[in-house]
Amino acid sequence: MSGIIRTQGAQVGFNDLKLPGMWSRKIGKDLYEIFIGPQHPGSGHMRIVIRVDGDVIVEADPDMGYVHRTMEKLSEVRTWIKGIPLFERMAIHDACNVTLPYVRAVEKLMDIEAPERAKYLRVLLCEINRIAAFLYGFGIFGVFLGHSTMYMWPFGDREVWVELAEWLTGARLTHSYPVFGGVRRDVPAGFTDALRKAIRYMRKRLEDYRKIFVDNPVIRARLEGVGVIPKNLAIELGITGPNLRASGVKYDVRLNHPYEVYDQLDFEIPVFQEGDAYARVWQRVEEIKQSLNILEQVADWLDKHPRTPILHDKFWKTAPPLYKKIFEETGRAKLGAVYAIMKVPAGKAYERAETARGEISYYVESNGGNKPYRIRIHSASARNALVYKYIVPGHRVMDLPAIYGSIDYFPPEADR
Amino acid sequence: MPAKPVSKQVPSRGGIFSKFKGNIEAIAIGVKFFFNPQRFTLIYPKEYIKLKEGYRGFIVLRKDKCINCGSCARICPAAAMRLIRLPFTDPKTGKTRMKLWPVINYNRCIFCGYCVDVCPTEALYHVPYHDVVYETMDVMDLDLEEFQKEPEWDAEKLGLPVKYVVDEKMGLVKVRIKEEGEKQ
Amino acid sequence: MSGILDAIIKIITWPPLWQLVVLGLLIPLGVVVFILWFERKTAARVQRRIGPYHVSPKIAGGLQLIADLMRYMFQEVIIPKTVDKFPFIVAPLAALILSIVPVVAIPFTSIEAYFPIDMSYSLIISLALLTLSPLFIILSGWASNNKFSVIGGMREAYLITAYELVAVLAFLSAGAITGSFNLVDIVEAQSGVKWFIILNPLAFAAAFIGVLLSTSGFPFEIAESEHEVVAGAFTEYSGLVYGMNMGAAYLKRMIFSIMIAVVFLGGWQPYTPGEGFIAGYLVPSIVILIKATVLMMIFSFFRAVYGRYRLDQALDIAWKILFPLAVLGFGLGLLEAYLGII
Repeated sequence: MSGIIRTQGAQVGFNDLKLPGMWSRKIGKDLYEIFIGPQHPGSGHMRIVIRVDGDVIVEADPDMGYVHRTMEKLSEVRTWIKGIPLFERMAIHDACNVTLPYVRAVEKLMDIEAPERAKYLRVLLCEINRIAAFLYGFGIFGVFLGHSTMYMWPFGDREVWVELAEWLTGARLTHSYPVFGGVRRDVPAGFTDALRKAIRYMRKRLEDYRKIFVDNPVIRARLEGVGVIPKNLAIELGITGPNLRASGVKYDVRLNHPYEVYDQLDFEIPVFQEGDAYARVWQRVEEIKQSLNILEQVADWLDKHPRTPILHDKFWKTAPPLYKKIFEETGRAKLGAVYAIMKVPAGKAYERAETARGEISYYVESNGGNKPYRIRIHSASARNALVYKYIVPGHRVMDLPAIYGSIDYFPPEADR
Repeated sequence: MPAKPVSKQVPSRGGIFSKFKGNIEAIAIGVKFFFNPQRFTLIYPKEYIKLKEGYRGFIVLRKDKCINCGSCARICPAAAMRLIRLPFTDPKTGKTRMKLWPVINYNRCIFCGYCVDVCPTEALYHVPYHDVVYETMDVMDLDLEEFQKEPEWDAEKLGLPVKYVVDEKMGLVKVRIKEEGEKQ
Repeated sequence: MSGILDAIIKIITWPPLWQLVVLGLLIPLGVVVFILWFERKTAARVQRRIGPYHVSPKIAGGLQLIADLMRYMFQEVIIPKTVDKFPFIVAPLAALILSIVPVVAIPFTSIEAYFPIDMSYSLIISLALLTLSPLFIILSGWASNNKFSVIGGMREAYLITAYELVAVLAFLSAGAITGSFNLVDIVEAQSGVKWFIILNPLAFAAAFIGVLLSTSGFPFEIAESEHEVVAGAFTEYSGLVYGMNMGAAYLKRMIFSIMIAVVFLGGWQPYTPGEGFIAGYLVPSIVILIKATVLMMIFSFFRAVYGRYRLDQALDIAWKILFPLAVLGFGLGLLEAYLGII
């Protein structure tokens, strides 16, 4: 292309029409360019520029970055513990999952490990978050297909899990639950009973979802064979999470690199082969079922084991009697003043975890100070966003919301 | 006992009969919920949720317990808590000294609760509510006097208290909390 | 004095005026307000919500629609600079008027004195008038000069070609059974339990789904599908004109429902029109309107259960399933006429 503007070799824009001071780009003859987003009811905080020939999309251009918040840079000017509430803002409804690898990476640098009870509690909240995030995704997906009941039902049922998370942590969404060396609160009395009730309720509701949404002929017609991600393309693009597993790749961080106590729990990683939007829906339904299995085992473990400290000895051994008394009475582990001014030994650490949308990884580097030297986050949605460019072309305009919803893309997580 | 991958398949497409069955099932469940709505909406100003103990709501200072250590301001991730220098007269010795006291700016607070957890003497505590209205943004920046009072909770005056209980059949059930002195 | 009153009553109850203004506009408007409320309440019940409530808690939020209408009325009508002004303003008005005009060709009684026009070819005339209004939706989409509006208008155009033939054929099968295009004859032929929904369920099914297709009912809410084309042809409209656009679709659905009630659900049967204005005109029209309202409620219920089909799938359904179904229904009608069931 002749009209490409180049700055030191890097392509920054097009000037096909040779307009002064303006970027312009010729699109094909008889093509219609539509900007879906960022102020469009069918887009999130992102824009997809599509070019259509008749009703068929020939080109799709995902344009992200509308909710970029410079998280990596912000974390460099804050002390270590302040990173936790900051990174939660990537995906507030999946807060425990997205912050856990950060906490684990710092723990690795400090060469400490959370007590076993704290590990189980982390898994507990992770799975509650995962179910809530899947239900959130279902709700958005439902309304994208015009199915308003599927919008309201998952959001209503998500309330059950949010309620449980609130009971456990004290906040509905931004829990800030895991801290270096453990977690902040133990399970309250009566929590596991309520959890078991919620598990049984959710299993029953999945059957209702199947009837009204998943097996609904209208929805099946919209989803079957739409947005197929072949196995090799999925691997090539590096997409992750349920989208990857729905394409037939057996990869889950909980399976390949188990963290916390996932290697002691008995659960399955469902893998579907089809790779289309319908398989992705089933993938998420099956993963909710497996999360419920995990939660049941965690509830059993918590019932069997009495309350033991949930912070690492490094922080808990020196705790004053008042702290221990409060922990015995309310299950709230108070943080030592050291957390505010904590220094982390110099080094580099890399940790990952499986969030509801896929693998998130943190690279944490410390120079021995009380602030991180560098934190690099690679979130699941950022990896999944690429896929639009490759699988949307060839579909009809009305397929775009179906694909968008089935990928379960979450812009704030991708833009960081 | 690590996780194991299990290969699954979506249910087959089926013929016209399964399509018919799918339509009937969808309509049937719609009709079922039409006649038995199972709703649990909170009719907000008329009812309000009495949250559980341990909810991370607004933060209140007990000044008599505060030892002026400043940990709360140091750990605050949003710089909502800050320290101000005020004279303080020790009741025992009668001496007046300048001391650092925490005050909070609710424009910035994210209710992470780190300050409450880090306080070595439990001088800070959460009230179990968060639906408080301030008239202007300036008012949200509390001074030391305001910080010691529990914020005014209008919902309590306007509505009836309810709580949500996890239930096996309904998911969540709205349960009316009987107030003191009210007949059971 | 009484002479003037009589004259006024006579003018009001003059069949063409009465039918167009009262039966065609005022009562359907009331029904539409009820249906909109019902639709929101139904969806809310299925979705475990409460729905409209705070406007009038004692009557379950019944005044919510009135409040919405007030809001539309007080909203500024914005006419963007880029639009083609004349068609932009005229098209929604024309669509609204044309969607209620077919009512003049529908008989609400068997007594000839209360026919607004001659009923000999009323089936053909009402069907012809019913197919006019979507043209103006396409026009308003084109006049809006907005990409989403144009796509919405084009979708409407595709759907017209799909449902028009289906609906016309399905309704004409009633003519095939009775051998008459006179709607009065068609209703009279359905005396007793010989309603055409029982005699010819194929044609009824085709007409029912055809109406869903034509009035953007779920699962065929495609031309205004929010998640691709914002509000379809109505994207650039605001205020009362937007409300008019939306109301026109529901009015059209109401008129279609009246048609189905007359052609397939026995019209004023089992009631037999008697003497006088009340027994001969008012009561039979109420019977028809009740049947039509029940149909409208069924249409509304689908919103809670279904998502929407893709455009090409809707066209597939129309051409590959409904069209053969309508033809079969037509054939069934001919067969029944041959066997002399009527």
